[in-house]
Amino acid sequence: MRDYWLSKLFFDLQSPALAAEFRAERDKVLARYPLDERVKQALAENDAPFLAARTNAYLLRYYFFTLGMKDEEFIRRLNHG
Amino acid sequence: MASLVGAFAASHGPLIVREWDAVPQNEKSRMSTAFRELGRRLSAAQPDVLIVVSPDHWSNFFLDNYPAVCIGVGGENEGPPEPWMKAFPHRTIAGHPGLAMHLAREAMRQGFEPALSHRLKLDHGICIPLWRMELERLPKIVPLLLNSIEPPMPSLRRCFEWGGLLRKSIESYAEPLRVAILATGGLSHSIGEPTMGTILEDFDRETIRLFNRPHDELVHFLEAKLPASGNGSEEVRNWLVAHGAAGGRGFELVDYLPVPKVIVGCGFASWRV
Repeated sequence: MRDYWLSKLFFDLQSPALAAEFRAERDKVLARYPLDERVKQALAENDAPFLAARTNAYLLRYYFFTLGMKDEEFIRRLNHG
Repeated sequence: MASLVGAFAASHGPLIVREWDAVPQNEKSRMSTAFRELGRRLSAAQPDVLIVVSPDHWSNFFLDNYPAVCIGVGGENEGPPEPWMKAFPHRTIAGHPGLAMHLAREAMRQGFEPALSHRLKLDHGICIPLWRMELERLPKIVPLLLNSIEPPMPSLRRCFEWGGLLRKSIESYAEPLRVAILATGGLSHSIGEPTMGTILEDFDRETIRLFNRPHDELVHFLEAKLPASGNGSEEVRNWLVAHGAAGGRGFELVDYLPVPKVIVGCGFASWRV
């Protein structure tokens, strides 16, 4: 299953300018995307398994890389939530 | 007429650049030697044009429209958009519209129907091998972006057939161009999945072995094993294109080594064309 707007957010965050804005004013950026409340919650909680079920795995990895999360932590979250 | 003068493959994982300093010296040395050896062979083949077969890592395409295959037919393409590829020495890369459009027309005529783009961003999938091969002169690049990122993907058999189509099309191009093919990506790796970091060395070695067997055996093996071998391993499709172009005659393995720091089973190959 693909959540289009979640995927679009991750795709757009490949832009360094948007990524910087997202890190500084996350809610402002999120407001531009019609995301489900449960998806917003998963983003807030870095709930990798929930997000993984709704987007492409490469986009998910880019997103957590953009957040500055180390791969070890990302893999731990993918496996254990 | 144009001719196919070489077919090669190399891995392209982003961590080959981003984590390079953390790679153990002996692995770094083997990878550098393998990339340079491919560069030496490619240069020796004196290609005017290099067709690079690679996936688009969400640099050009999104869910709005993600083509199974896209040929870059423009006179110029852009260098890699990834911020960590800033040091790549080319911001723009010349294409070869004449050959690219000929490939596209021949593909359509044969019922293959690729998408076309007149300007692409050539991401790390294309540019890491070009960079690491340390080419003195960059040939004109015709990108062939093949989806191995977002399911469903072109069948393995179709990828092999794409190779045969490329060869026939090259050989029917009127200008006396020397054309080489570079397939990038693979071998085993897993990106953004719970298995991320896993390298399946046995799978890689069997895949490599089967590239020197009749192609039906290789395709049959991959059809059975690929779905459970990590999403990055799907990039072996690009190798199948090179294999098809070389008539399935098998390759010389330049090197293979699993590199945990770059989370990829790194393979380097040179086909007998």
